[in-house]
Amino acid sequence: MKTWHFILVIMVAGLLALFYKGLWGDPRAIPTVLIGTQAPIVSGPEVRTGEMISTSRFQGKVILINFWASWCLECRTEHENLLALSRRFSSNPDFVMLGINYQDREEDARQYLQVNGSNFDHVRDLKGMISIDYGVYGVPETFVIDQQGVIRYKYVGPIVGQAYSYLTESVLQPLLERRPFPSS
Amino acid sequence: MKKTLIITILPLILLASIPLSRSMAATVQEEQIDLQMRDIAKTLRCTICQNESIWESQAELAHQMREIIKERLVKGESPDQIRAYFLSRYGDYILLAPQKSGLNWLLWAGPFALLAAGGLFLYRTLARWVVQAAAEKQEAPPPIDEHLRKRIEAELHSRED
Repeated sequence: MKTWHFILVIMVAGLLALFYKGLWGDPRAIPTVLIGTQAPIVSGPEVRTGEMISTSRFQGKVILINFWASWCLECRTEHENLLALSRRFSSNPDFVMLGINYQDREEDARQYLQVNGSNFDHVRDLKGMISIDYGVYGVPETFVIDQQGVIRYKYVGPIVGQAYSYLTESVLQPLLERRPFPSS
Repeated sequence: MKKTLIITILPLILLASIPLSRSMAATVQEEQIDLQMRDIAKTLRCTICQNESIWESQAELAHQMREIIKERLVKGESPDQIRAYFLSRYGDYILLAPQKSGLNWLLWAGPFALLAAGGLFLYRTLARWVVQAAAEKQEAPPPIDEHLRKRIEAELHSRED
């Protein structure tokens, strides 16, 4: 076989491999550049009370941040799990959970929480600054920040099924127990 | 009298023109910021749209991103610093054109390299065909079978008669 025949075969095989990866890969898997970086400070009014909330007062704690919107259907599917997650970990003084209301009307957000219930605080992202600081593409997206204020985990999509188990057992639990992360 | 009037009015006109010139300068600066913002926004991808820059997109997020660019320009940040900020939040995906560095060079040079390889392949194939065709032309025709030769001769003779 001539050299250029060999090169051609390699190139075609490479292209096919790329197509294959594109076809069967996870469309949600947009690589994030934020893992391992210092988490931006979140600051804004609470959706229901208007009280100013800032993550700067939660230094040294594990913080779970969930971006959501009342118009987002996938957010509804994960809502019960978020409430369960908050119930499970809220007794731990090292854990804080925050919702960030994304691209939403204040009234719609309040009504959503009233109808679906909530047991943790929600910050309004007034100018979209929080979402942009966290490189959010859409909702729902969830971030976990460790005790040192470093982003350790990001998930795009609803926290349901395996995503919920992984988040609780392999991310939050080890972080709260200061075990190596992620646990295998 | 006329001179006194001019002396009195001229400083007043000059004083009145100061705020005007200030507001004109502010307008010019604002226009420059808008132009710079447009140039930066055209290079950044709207993350919730399909292949649209944040300049073209009507999405709320794109509008907020444009506002952030403006705020940062007003603060004195350079276009490169602003692009670096978005890059640090969203990664390469935010850029409509990939950066000319590392493996990205494959994306920039790949199409041209493939075009050159295709051109070379076409040139070599065509050259080989031309050579083959010329060689086939120069070759003597294959010998005719004796029986066929006799038949052709007979046919020709019969026509001559």
